[in-house]
Formats: sequence, structure tokens, C-alpha cells
Amino acid sequence: MRACSGHLPETKLLVRRLICVPVHPLHRASVRMLDDLILGMAGAGGDGVVSAGESLLNAASSEGYHALMTKSFGSQIRGGESSCRVRLSTKKVLNPGGALDVMVALNWEDFFKFGAELPLSVNTVLIYEEKAGPPPDTLKARGVIPKEMVSVPINELTKKSAGSDKAKTSVVLGLLSGWFGIPSAGIERGLQKKFGSKGEGLLEANQKALATGIEYAKGHPLAAPHELARPEASAGSKLLCDGNDMCAAGALFAGVKFFGGYPITPSTEVMQTLSKEIWKYGGAVLQCEDEIAGIGSAVGASFAGRKSMTATSGPGMDLKTEILGLATIAELPLVILNVQRGGPSTGLPTKAEQSDLLQAAFSGHGDVLRPVLAPTDVEDTFRITVEAFNVAEEFQTPVIILSDQEIAQRKEAVDQIDTSRFSLVERKVPTEAELAEKPYARFALTESGISPISHPGLKGGTYLAAGIEHNEKGDPTSGGVMHAKMNDKRFRKLEPLKKRADLFEQHGNPQAPLGLIAWGSTAGVAREAFLLAKKQGHDVKLLVPYLLNPVAEAVYQGFFESLKHGLLVELSHQGQLYRLLRMYTDVPKGLRSLCRSGANPFQPTELVTRLIELRGLPS
Amino acid sequence: MTAPPLQAKDYKSELKPIWCPGCGDFGVLQGLYRALASIGRPPHEVAFISGIGCSSRIPGYTTAYGFNTVHGRSLPIAQGVKLSNPELLVVVAGGDGDGFSIGGGHVPHAVRRNMDLTYLVMDNQVYGLTKGQLSPTSPKGLETVTSPLGSLEDPINPLLYMLAYGCGFVAQATPADMPGMAALIEDAIRYPGFSFVNIQSPCVTFGEEDQQLKAHKTKLKPLESLGHDPTDQLAAMDLARAYGTELYTGVFYKNPKPPPTYEALVKLRQAEQAKKARPRDRVLDAYLQK
Amino acid sequence: MTKQPVQQAPSVNFEAMTLKDAIDLAVLIEEEARDRYEELAAQLILHRTPAAANFFTKMVRIEELHRSQLLEQRRKQFGDQPVTVRREMIFDVEAPDYDEARMNMTQRQALEVALRSEQKAHKFFVSVLANVQNPEVRRLFEELCDEELEHQQLVKAEMAKLPPPGPHDHVDVGDGPAPQ
Ligand SMILES: Cc1ncc(C[n+]2csc(CCOP(=O)(O)OP(=O)(O)O)c2C)c(N)n1
Ligand code: SF4
Ligand SMILES: [Mg+2]
Repeated sequence: MRACSGHLPETKLLVRRLICVPVHPLHRASVRMLDDLILGMAGAGGDGVVSAGESLLNAASSEGYHALMTKSFGSQIRGGESSCRVRLSTKKVLNPGGALDVMVALNWEDFFKFGAELPLSVNTVLIYEEKAGPPPDTLKARGVIPKEMVSVPINELTKKSAGSDKAKTSVVLGLLSGWFGIPSAGIERGLQKKFGSKGEGLLEANQKALATGIEYAKGHPLAAPHELARPEASAGSKLLCDGNDMCAAGALFAGVKFFGGYPITPSTEVMQTLSKEIWKYGGAVLQCEDEIAGIGSAVGASFAGRKSMTATSGPGMDLKTEILGLATIAELPLVILNVQRGGPSTGLPTKAEQSDLLQAAFSGHGDVLRPVLAPTDVEDTFRITVEAFNVAEEFQTPVIILSDQEIAQRKEAVDQIDTSRFSLVERKVPTEAELAEKPYARFALTESGISPISHPGLKGGTYLAAGIEHNEKGDPTSGGVMHAKMNDKRFRKLEPLKKRADLFEQHGNPQAPLGLIAWGSTAGVAREAFLLAKKQGHDVKLLVPYLLNPVAEAVYQGFFESLKHGLLVELSHQGQLYRLLRMYTDVPKGLRSLCRSGANPFQPTELVTRLIELRGLPS
Repeated sequence: MTAPPLQAKDYKSELKPIWCPGCGDFGVLQGLYRALASIGRPPHEVAFISGIGCSSRIPGYTTAYGFNTVHGRSLPIAQGVKLSNPELLVVVAGGDGDGFSIGGGHVPHAVRRNMDLTYLVMDNQVYGLTKGQLSPTSPKGLETVTSPLGSLEDPINPLLYMLAYGCGFVAQATPADMPGMAALIEDAIRYPGFSFVNIQSPCVTFGEEDQQLKAHKTKLKPLESLGHDPTDQLAAMDLARAYGTELYTGVFYKNPKPPPTYEALVKLRQAEQAKKARPRDRVLDAYLQK
Repeated sequence: MTKQPVQQAPSVNFEAMTLKDAIDLAVLIEEEARDRYEELAAQLILHRTPAAANFFTKMVRIEELHRSQLLEQRRKQFGDQPVTVRREMIFDVEAPDYDEARMNMTQRQALEVALRSEQKAHKFFVSVLANVQNPEVRRLFEELCDEELEHQQLVKAEMAKLPPPGPHDHVDVGDGPAPQ
């Protein structure tokens, strides 16, 4: 597969993000045509704000907008506080964004529980339930006072229009539509889908509530009116899904025939989707008794000649380690998805962190070189999944996809993907004629290090796969010479992977003295930061690796050449890619690790600020 | 022209077993060759999966496709193989430690999924490969290197476990009765569902004197000779309770009406769902917003 | 004490057996013994027990000799008529049991193994003869039965030539198996 990497919408930059930030307090004009809007909503779980966010996302994407939604919950299983953020744009959305343009608080208590997820700025319009009373002092204590705070009798409007309080969020959607020009037709369609079959009168009640919200907004214009620009005429219809959906779809496209796994947040949706779909393509899903059995059964399926995968998150990854080693030494193709969450141990099960890279590269005993690929957003999760299968099949190795909670669970409206761009790789299987010709040597020491792999059922191809070191035929050995040769084979075969330019994304002037490197979900933030910095006139470049291991020394070394100052940005306490690069490359002094623990994503403006600061430092 | 019938030696690989001379596993291997020959599937249609242990070395000594995996995980791996290619004859083998200690958590699930697998446990009541430690089937009080003062724990009863898990075919054998053992292995393989044979396979190096084949020969009691009805599950459980005191051989329980296997149900589901498949290059259409 | 396990596969019907099948079966019995001695010799070579291994290798040659003699007889009487009996019909008739081999076993112990095997074979033919009617087949099995007795004498004679058993022959002072 040789696909070009995602392009950045450089022409029409999302400059407005810059204006919102306190460190750059430029003033907005009073009349706003927005091409990008970030909304937040918070309430009690019973209010259904997340479901309202989804309606908004559906509506916007069906109108052709790019959109992205993340959600966050309290620790209660149900009914605790819940919140969501929705970013709507006429351009490709690069990340969930920073401070909110609009915030809807159904009550103060729940809102304040989401400090980091729902940041306000001086430019935010804060809408709140009238009954909740004026904003408490907590807001002042945070240091940012939104420029406009609007109280709306949401409860009362709901009761009056719908006759019950079950349509609160439809009033909210009406308000948002009325005040920010979000087309109501899409919202209406969404209501129909959602409530059409949910009991007499509920749809009508919500329709009335929506109309009431729109009406109210019209009657109470904002001091600084906004309007979301229409999406480009050519926008066409969008795909609306999250990273886990994309991974499942990518796997099906690549021809996955077996999935073995054990449920764990935030990866479970991949298994759930495949449990519904895989049968249609002649495959099977096995919900196993634990993660060891999950990867075990997948390894068995691969031994039997099928494309197979497993998916998990940190704690499950720990359990899979031993069998990962088995797949490496038995040279069996296998795809393992790790949707990273905060660790160690149970850690932060519902929050993103980029702290499993070293585990992905190094977990397990022995000398192992294990390919690790990381998608950076919902859309490229499809490509990276297909790529992971291709690499696994071509090089007969387990491949880890390092996604993270944000990518995996944020819902995004993205452009359709032209699947004809991708070609699929199948493992090299010896033909029956070849097998009849001479005795089969499963682990033949070829120049490339890749030796044809047979599978049960193939006449003449019988061999012993094993965790124990083997000779070329596959017979067990404990000889040092053969062990060294086999280790060398297993490393040698992956060399070509490092030359795959399409597994890296580079932007900006190759000779630029300033540079940003980021991977995974942080890459989306870095892309926006890169555009902002360029807009500000800085000579800057950006490197986003999709291939994290084996480390492609030449690619990094090339990027480092002109670099005087740079940041490697990642969401982990240690900065794991930075440490990995220090192992394999000559990291210049000027490249610094900008890292912090998970659940606290970086903001584009923050990266620009930190990058510019560096210029004063010695390089 | 039909190919000549396969013989036991056709399943014997060139690899020389590294087992201690006198190890019970030699007999098991021989019995297995015989059973396979009698069934007659060519070696390349047989997948032989094992864990780690002396006993788990067994796949390498056959000409079948073998997978000598990691300690305790043979059953899940075998399930992946079987589901991926149900046409294969899949045999799983390992030791008492492999199956009932480290791999013990996998056993009930393998049983309840009821794939057509045959699970052979070479039960020597000891950890052979790691040199004589206590195993989950070691009798209480046994002195081993890790229980120098005698073990304080009761052994598990593999036969009773398997019966309680709902296994459709449960048998016990010993290489002290080679024809009986070979016939049982064959019977187990022919059973259309998950089948289990606990093979009392002595460890000459670390095993107890009264657990050796010579002792087996005088101790063993064929269930057939007791008039046991192998379709009687409760009677089977009653007899199985004597594990560790009596050496019963033969079929404890064989479900007279084997339910459909997991892979058969999968096949049905695949056939029924295939109609609903989008072309693979259009899988993303499921997420299209109209 | 319960009954001994049956030593012949139930599929062999000795009562109705033809001479051709009987000779073929006898060939297979020798073949099985030859192969077993070969396996045991290989095990003992692998486990550095040369004296016993050498003796078992010698037994391989002897069993092969018996087999070829029987084969010769068969060829004379029945030419290349197809063989209808199968090796799978017999189990360990003259072949020593697997658990007879031990690491560091002495040559005397190896001879004892052979002796027990000849005794086992003798017992087998005696029990079979009880059911055989066909006079030709009877004659063959009687011959074989006598031969087993002869072999026993030979093994005993061989044993007599050995130095007397040492007091510590049964003690295994070797290293334990390599841990893995
Ligand atoms: C994860 C792991 N833990 C421990 C071991 C060491 N080990 C290898 S085999 C074995 C026990 C073998 O006993 P059993 O399964 O009864 O087989 P046997 O050798 O007796 O046939 C152990 C503890 C290992 N290989 N892997
Ligand atoms: S240690 Fe015991 S189980 Fe292992 S090969 Fe030796 S006799 Fe057999
Ligand atoms: Mg054991």
C-alpha cells in the first residue's frame, strides 16, 4: 500500500483559535462568520447531553460539515455527571481544540467537575440554566470570565413546549441552532431517527421543544452574534464514526478472518463491531476467557493461515506479552490493537495517554524487534489498520497498532475514504509444486529474512512451529550459532520497513530551524500548532511518524539536520518516543521533550508558545 | 488408484524424542501413532498443539503440523486453529501442570465451547521438565523439591472437573495397556465434540514408584470390566471420585447425543450472514451520513 | 488384584487364521521388536548409556535376522501375494515395553530386558496356541514358541558370561535432567 498521508488545510487557516487565547488577546470584530465552532455541554447523566452532542454531530455531518466529538463521564456507571465537546468546521478538524466558544451548563455542580475538559476563555459564550442561579464564585476563582453569560429558563421552556422535562436537550439544540446558525433540518432528521419509534408523542414533544429553542434564540439575540459558515458546496456526504469503528472497518477491508479478545475499555468497540460483521466475510470472533486466550486464539488462527487480530488496552497488553514473543519467534503474522489509556495498572481507564510505546516496542524477554504503528486521528486509523495487516503478512510478525482513548472514542465526521488507494498484502505461501520439489524448510535463512510460510492442510508443508528456538527446518535447537542466525533473520527482515517514506508525514520547509515532532492523538494538535506558527511567520517544520518501531534512523536524522530548536510532544510523563529516539539516533540538544501525563491534552497555542520560547535557548 | 492405507510409522517424525528412557510419554506417542493411523487422516491435515513440558514436546515427534506453544495456553491456541480451519483434525496435548495449573483457567471454557478437539493430558502428578516440583495432581503429602516436608494441599481431580464442566467425552488411559490406550485415543478423536483423555503417563525420573507402568499393570481396572455404562453421567462422576486411589481405565462418559459443535454453529452463522455482506471495499458505507 | 490387560488386539482372529497371515503376523512381530530395540538403543545413545545401547543394537540385528528368515519362508510359500494383516493389529508382543529402558542401565539390566521380552513373547504364543485349529498355523506357532525358549537360553548364557551383578547396579548416580 502506498497511500499519501493526510493533507493539511493550509489555505484557509483556522486563525480564530488564536484569537481566543489569553496570551494573544487580539480583539474579535463584532460580527462573526465562523468556519470553526467548539461547543461544550455538561449536565447530569439523566439529562442526555452526550446524546444531544451526538445529534448535533449527526446533523452537522449530514449537512457536510467536518465535525468531531469527545465525551467524558463521571465515575458512576450511570447517572453521574456527563459532558461532551463538539467541534464543527468547514475544514478538516485536526483535534478537539482548546477553549470553548460556547458552553451549555445545565447545572453548575456537574459543569465544574469537568475542569480540564471544558476550558473557558474570555471569548466563550456561557449559556446556563436559569434555575441554577448566577455563576458561583468558583468560576471567578478560575481566572477567566467569559465575555457573555446568558441564562435561559431551559426547564421551563421544555415543560411549556413539550409538556414534560424529557425534551430538555432538544430545547438546547434549538438554542444552539438559533444562535449559531447550525442548520436545523439535520437536527430535525436526527430527532426523527432517535424518537420516531420511541413511544407515542415523544417525537412531537421534542420537535416542539426544538422549535421553542430556536424561537427563544431569535427573540433574545446575543450581544455578539455568530454564524457558522456553510460547508463547501463540494463537501459531499461524510463518514461519521470513531477510531474503533475505523479500526474494525480497516480490519474487515484487509480481510481479517479471526478476532480473539477480551473486553476492556477503551478498545471493546472493535470487538463489538467485528462480532456483528465478521461472519459476513467468512470469519469468526471468539470472546475469550481472558486476554491471554484472546491473543492465543488469534495466534492459532494465524498458524492456520488466516489473517487474525486481537484488541485490548494496557492491562490486557500486559497479559499478552508472553504470546507476543511466541508470535515473534514462530514468525506468525498478527495484528494487536492497543488503545492506550492512562497507566500503570487500572490507571485512568477512560482517558488518553501515550505511555505504552516502550511496552509496545520492548515488552517481553529476549531480543525482539516488533513493528509498532500509530494512527493520529479517526480517519487514518483505517489506513494504519490496513497497513498493520500488510506489514504483519509481508514480514510474518506481530504488529502493534498504538491507538489511544481519544482517537478510539472520539466521533468524527470525515471525508469518505477511497479504498481503491490501498492494496492488500498476503503472506508468502509456498505452492504445492514448490513443496513437492524439495523438503520444506519453514525458517529457511533467505537473504531477505522472509521465508515462505505454509499452514495446516497444505500437503508437503508440515512443520513444527514452536516457542523454542529452531533450525531452518523448524526442529528445536539450543545451539548458539543457530540462535544467532535466527535472531539476525528476525531483525533483518524488518529493515525495509524503515525505508517506507509513506509511514511518515512531513510538512514545512525542510531546512527550517524550528521543528515539531508528534505522534498519535497529539499529532493532531501539533498539526494545528504548525499551521498557527507558520501563519505567525515562523520558519517551522513538522514530522509525524506513523511507524514508531523499528526506529527509522535516517528519517529522523534527516529531520534533525537543519534543526536548531524543536519539540517532541507527547502525552506521557516520561516522553517515551523521545527516549526511544535517544536510543537509536543522535538527538540534537535543541530538540526537547515536551511531555506530561495523560488526561490533559496539549493545546495548539500552547505548543506554539513553547516552541517560540525555545529560540532564546542555546541549541 | 487409491493410496495405500496409512500406517503408524507414517506419523513418526525423524526427530528423536529427548525424553528420559522409560518415560511413559514414549508409550503415549506410540499409541497416538496407532490411533492416527487407524483414523487415517494424512499428517498434513492434522494439527497437533501443545503447551510446555516434557509431554508437550510430543507434536515434534509426529509428521503432522505441530505447534509447541507456551506453557498452559495450548487450548486457546487450538481453538483459533480449529475455528480458522474446521476441516483439520486438531489434537491438543500437554502435562498435568500445563493443563490444570497454569492453563487451568482455559479448560472449562474450551469444554463449554465444545469444538471438535481432542485433549490428551499426560498426567504424571509432577512437573517433569522443571525437575520434579509439586503439580496440581500430586497427592497430598507428596515430598518434592518444592514440598520437601510434604505438600499441604489436596490434588485436583481432572476427571471430575471435566465431567462437571460438561465435557461430552471423558476417559482415562495408561500406556500400561497400549491397545486399550490407543483405542481410547482413537475413540476420543472420533467423538464429534470436545473430548478428554487423562493419560496416566509415569515420570520415571521424578515420579513415585507406585505410579510406574509396572504398578499400573497390576492396578488398572478397565471400566468395561466393571460393567460401567458410559452414557451414565452420574455413575461416571461417582467412579471419577476415585481418582488418585483407583486406576480406572476406559470411557467414563460419552454423550450419546453429541450436540452440534461450535464450529458447526459458526458455519451456519457465516452462511446466513454472508448474504448481508457489503463488498469489502465498501465496508465504510456503514458509517455514511446521508 | 484385577486381571491382566489383554495383550493382543481384538481384531486378530487366531482361530480362523491362514498360514499366510500367520507368517505375515510373525514377520510383523519381529519387525516390531526390531524397531523397539532400535528406539531404545537410540534413547540410550542420546542418554549416554553405551553398554546397554550396544546390546540393544545387537538385538536389532538379531530381530532383523529372524524377520528376514521368516520373510524368506513366506516368499517361498506365498510369493508376492498381498499382505492383509497390519502392524496395528499387534502390540508389544516381543518388543520390550518402553518403560524397560533406563538411563545408566547396565549391560546386565539390558539383558534382563531382553529376557523378559522373550518370556513375554513365549507367553503370547502359548496363549494363542490355545485357540489355533489350523495344523499348519499350529506348527508355525509351536516353532516360534520353541524359538522363544531357545532365545531365552541364549540370553541367559550371555548373562552368565558377564561379571556378577555389582551391589550398586540399581543406584542412579547420574546428573538429573537438564532444567528447561
Ligand atoms: C510461563 C512459564 N512459567 C513456567 C515455566 C516453566 N515450566 C516449564 S514446563 C513446567 C511444568 C511442566 O509440568 P507438566 O505440565 O506437568 O509437564 P511434564 O513436564 O510433567 O510433562 C514449568 C513450570 C514456563 N515454561 N513458562
Ligand atoms: S522428566 Fe519425567 S516426564 Fe520428563 S521426560 Fe523424564 S521421565 Fe518423562
Ligand atoms: Mg507433569
